[in-house]
Amino acid sequence: MRIFLDAGKCTGHGRCYNVAPDLLEDDERGYGRVIGDGDVSDEHGFDARRALESCPERAISIIE
Amino acid sequence: MSTGSGATASLSFRDAAPMEWDRTEGWRYFTDPGEVYEADGAWYLTSREAVQFAHRHPELFSSARAFDSLGSPVPLVPIASDPPEHVRYRRTLDPMLAPRVINRMEDELRQQVNELIDGFVERGSCEVIGDLAKPFPTQVILTLFGLPLEDRDRFFSWNQKILEITGGKAGEPTPDQMDAALAMFEYMQGFIDRKRLVPGDDMLSSVLALKGDDAWSNEEVLGLCFLVALAGLDTVTASIGFALMHLSKRPDLRQRMVDDPSSRSGLIEEVLRLEVPAALTPRVTTKDVVVGGETIPAGSYVFLVLGAVNRGPEWGESANEINLEDADRGHLTFGGGIHRCMGSHLARRELRIVIDEFHQRIPEYSLPEGFEPRLVWPAGTFHLSELPIVFPPGDRT
Repeated sequence: MRIFLDAGKCTGHGRCYNVAPDLLEDDERGYGRVIGDGDVSDEHGFDARRALESCPERAISIIE
Repeated sequence: MSTGSGATASLSFRDAAPMEWDRTEGWRYFTDPGEVYEADGAWYLTSREAVQFAHRHPELFSSARAFDSLGSPVPLVPIASDPPEHVRYRRTLDPMLAPRVINRMEDELRQQVNELIDGFVERGSCEVIGDLAKPFPTQVILTLFGLPLEDRDRFFSWNQKILEITGGKAGEPTPDQMDAALAMFEYMQGFIDRKRLVPGDDMLSSVLALKGDDAWSNEEVLGLCFLVALAGLDTVTASIGFALMHLSKRPDLRQRMVDDPSSRSGLIEEVLRLEVPAALTPRVTTKDVVVGGETIPAGSYVFLVLGAVNRGPEWGESANEINLEDADRGHLTFGGGIHRCMGSHLARRELRIVIDEFHQRIPEYSLPEGFEPRLVWPAGTFHLSELPIVFPPGDRT
């Protein structure tokens, strides 16, 4: 599983890195960014889906 | 401020909404006519698709003229601006309100909340709005801008008077409101002048320190001061009130907050979703725009009905109630697109600090027998006028 963040849609709500802090982090403006290459281990699958659902801008996507 | 007791016949479509006792009914009132419609001279967008279309097209749904009724003596920066000015403002302001910056204020803010709780903990009762929900966010803004905390009460009272203009009513500001706006204007200008000469470690000084092409005009700095005062204060007051209202009415949720701190963030998101302080945000169309099959003419005043979007189909059967297990589905309480509330990270932190410290000190509390909390309506900001609670008395720290 892999998680992506569309920087063109992100407007810095900051939900993703709060619900999935192992997968995403905040930058200096408070916008989200994927940690590393976005690979999601099995144990973080639930967090990845929470990040996707929590984004008000629908900027997160997941490839299974 | 109006208490909503006037004759319904004279109220506009917006102000006639049944909001005082039950927002479920209130938001249904706004979604029943459809996804996009016109009523009493204003347009209403009530679905996620329509609202997000407006959020993503600031060139069609302008903010520059949408906030004139706020009665600020200067344009509000950055909310009442469009690109490219807006981009310049947010590039500067977003890093000043990012979570990592707010982290540095946190210990001080926790201490401030505890001092406020000290003021009533021995009494065994308090009025949440006046004793905590008003003073704390006011102090946070003063702290952020490096202004003296002693000015808290007069700062809040100017703010309240100015905001009476935004009660969804047309017409000129009253002399009282003009006086309050002028008093705040002079107060802010005094600190701008002082901090230009002797900068402090605060957000206002940081903005004043910008040089060259990045430097802001005096009017822009004043516009920022007014925005932060008008948008960053009574909204958080309202949210603190709503959070403690829902917890007072639901002993099971209150106990969960005490027993399981990890549930607090879900509770905060659910209260934000269901009780939106700035629930109808304005825009003005720049051209004829087709949304949801309707043509909105150029120059129309449009409300983005965030409170209705937050109860949409994503939330299924629990759309109208707090559901901690399945809380976070992307509510729009802080708006969206380029104008996403720039204080959202600070507001969420304020709520978290209040929920943490309050339950640490006062784990058991309830509404007084027979008291039913009531929304002030019509109003610009959705809020409670009072929230008395009772609890076993505790000790000062």
